[in-house]
Parts: sequence; structure tokens; C-alpha cells
Amino acid sequence: MKNIQEYFLLMLIVGTVALIGNWIGYDIFSIQAVLGMLVLILIASLGQLLSQLIPMKIPSVVYVIIIGIILSLPNLPWGPYVVEWTSNIQLLAIATPILAYAGIAIGRSWTDFVKMGWKAMVVCLLVLFGTLIGSAIIAEVVLRFQGII
Amino acid sequence: MVEITQLLKDWRLHVIVLGIVLITEAIGIIELTIGPGMIVLLPMLFAIVFGLILYFTPIIKEKQSKNAEPIITIAVTLLIAKIGVTIGPDLGNVIAAGPALLLQEIGNFGTIFLALPVAVLLLGMKRESIGMTHSIGRESNLGIIYDKFGFESAEGRGVTAIYVFGTVFGAMFYGLISGFLATFTPLHPLSLAMAAGVGSGSMMAAASGSLIAAYPELETQIIAFAGASNLLTYATGLFVSIFIALPITEKLYKLFWKWRGGENQ
Repeated sequence: MKNIQEYFLLMLIVGTVALIGNWIGYDIFSIQAVLGMLVLILIASLGQLLSQLIPMKIPSVVYVIIIGIILSLPNLPWGPYVVEWTSNIQLLAIATPILAYAGIAIGRSWTDFVKMGWKAMVVCLLVLFGTLIGSAIIAEVVLRFQGII
Repeated sequence: MVEITQLLKDWRLHVIVLGIVLITEAIGIIELTIGPGMIVLLPMLFAIVFGLILYFTPIIKEKQSKNAEPIITIAVTLLIAKIGVTIGPDLGNVIAAGPALLLQEIGNFGTIFLALPVAVLLLGMKRESIGMTHSIGRESNLGIIYDKFGFESAEGRGVTAIYVFGTVFGAMFYGLISGFLATFTPLHPLSLAMAAGVGSGSMMAAASGSLIAAYPELETQIIAFAGASNLLTYATGLFVSIFIALPITEKLYKLFWKWRGGENQ
């Protein structure tokens, strides 16, 4: 149970910033959007809490995603509310503040980054590209074979 | 681990982030058409750049930059919660796409087959290429390599390099490239959505974000597929790296150096 309130408050701050971004960027601001953000914050906090309570080495994000799925199953009584409220919150609006924090944090890695030689940079670029294109090609083949796309 | 209270109280940091969000969301999504393809510039990509620029001004002090790092990990759970509630109503589709989701995880070895030959055969890199190319080098991969070879080893330097590169440039790169690949190549946006689950929250957000901007009508499925694939990578990544990816990388490394007729190291 250590510092779960603080986790909650921190997500309340980030969530509020994302909610404002959701308003500015996507013109969505309503009671429903506020409720949607609150639900997301609660899901995230609950996942955090479970990962502390359950003594297994499972990353908290696994709990978070499972709670999210269960709460939004449409045939459960609360499902339609959760889906409707949270659909007012854009994924992109949540990502913007997170990547703003990331930008501020990576400043400290910048000197290491520019010190890398060009060879290492080329190889690293291929590493990033390779995992994306490798997975995309396999997914494309299987999805076509299944007739999904 | 930093005290969370300390993160909470860093109002200077939160206000700066709010400022960045206000400006970048007001700029909005910019789509650049390049031939038949399209590059999508998202507010989140501007946010990285603005944050980085601010780091080099007196507005950001060392303290803010240090505090920002643990906040990313905590805040990513909000993103994951949103993915969870998007998968819920779409669960049937995600399960139907299960075979593709599972098999595309193998595609993560693309890093080895693409990057390792270039590193060894073309650029003549030594053992640092093993650490650099066995995976996209996130935190768990750092752990594996440091544990097996040591932080100061050539392999250790290699994995540090890809970690730093991915941290600084990963989200930016995936944000720019995935929308372009979806519009420029025959690859379907849903295939790229699955591929976007590389095992890093911010990289996945950037990659799937640019797909959503280019194909808004597929938004729900893009988020669901990217999120499910990312979850699979989180769940299997460590295991796959230790027992499959790293051994393959080491074998191929030896083979490539034999081809080079090199003195084998």
C-alpha cells in the first residue's frame, strides 16, 4: 500500500494536463470527458495497487490493461458507461504530456547521444526499423491469410 | 527511486509541461504529403522537441529533468488504461486477430536480421554489435546484457548505445516512419498497428498515433491491435530475449565474422 495516494495524485496532475490538451487539441470538453479521465486514473491506480498487493513479478501495466478490458466489456452493466465516458478522451491527448516529460528527461541523455559515432547511429536506426518492418510484414501476411484485411 | 512526494511537488515541472501541451495541441496535427506517402507530425512529437529544447535553457533545471524521468513510467499507465478500455468493446476482433498478433512477435527479430549483418559485414563492428542488435534495447534488455557480459564489456557498451538512441530518438522515429509506411507502401495500417507494439509505451503511442492521424476511421482497431501487441511484447520480451534472440545474435555474429574471414572476434 506504499504511496498509492501519491501515485493517484500524480496521475491526477498528468490527467488534468491531458484533459486540457484534449480540450485544446480535439475540442472535447464535457462532464463525460472529465468522468472518462477519472475512470482512466482509477484504472491506472487500481493496477498500481494490485501490482503492489500481489507478490508476483508482473509489471503493473499488465494489471492496468486487464482491469481496463474487464471494466469496458460492453455486456457487463457498467461497460457502456465506461466506454462512452472514456471515448471522449483521445489517446493522442494522453500521449502529449507524457512525451513532454520525456523530452525534458532525455535532455540528460543528449550528450551521450551526440557522442555516438555515425556507425552506431546507422546500426541503431536499423534496429528500430527492423523490429517494426519485421513485425509488420508477418502481420500483413497472416492478416491477409485470415481475411481480416 | 525518487520519492513520489518530491515528484508531486515539482510544480515548476508540471506547469512547464502544461505550457508545452497548450502550445503543441494548439499547433495540432500537421500532415506533410511526400509523393504518394504522408508524414504525420503529431503534437506529441513537437512536445518531445520542445521539452528537449527547454532542457538547454535556464527554464529547466537539472532537478526538473531528473524528476521527469520516473513520471514517464507512472504516466504511461494512463495511456495503458485508455488502451485497456479500447480493447474491451473490441475484444472479439482482437481475439480473432490472435494468430497474427502472436506470429508478428517473431518479427521483432527483424532487428537482428537487418541490423546485425550491416553492423558486422559492412561496418566491421565487433562484439558491441551483439548488445546493440539483439533487441530494441529497453530497460529489461539492459538488465540482461549487463548481467551476462558486464556493464563495461563491449556488449554492454552496445546495449547502452541502443538504449540511449531509442530513448532520445525512438518515439520520434516511429512517429515519423509508421504513418509514412502505411501511406507509401502496400502495408495495411492494421499490420503496422500490430508492429507498433515494440514494447515501449511512448514508442507505441507515437507509432500508433501517426497511424490514427492518417486513418481516423480505423482508430479503435489501431489502438486495440497496437496495445495488445505491446502487451504481448511486455509479457514475452524478457524470455524471448534471453532464450531466443540473444543466442541467435551470438551465433550469427560468429558466422558473419567467419564469412569476413576475420580473426573471429
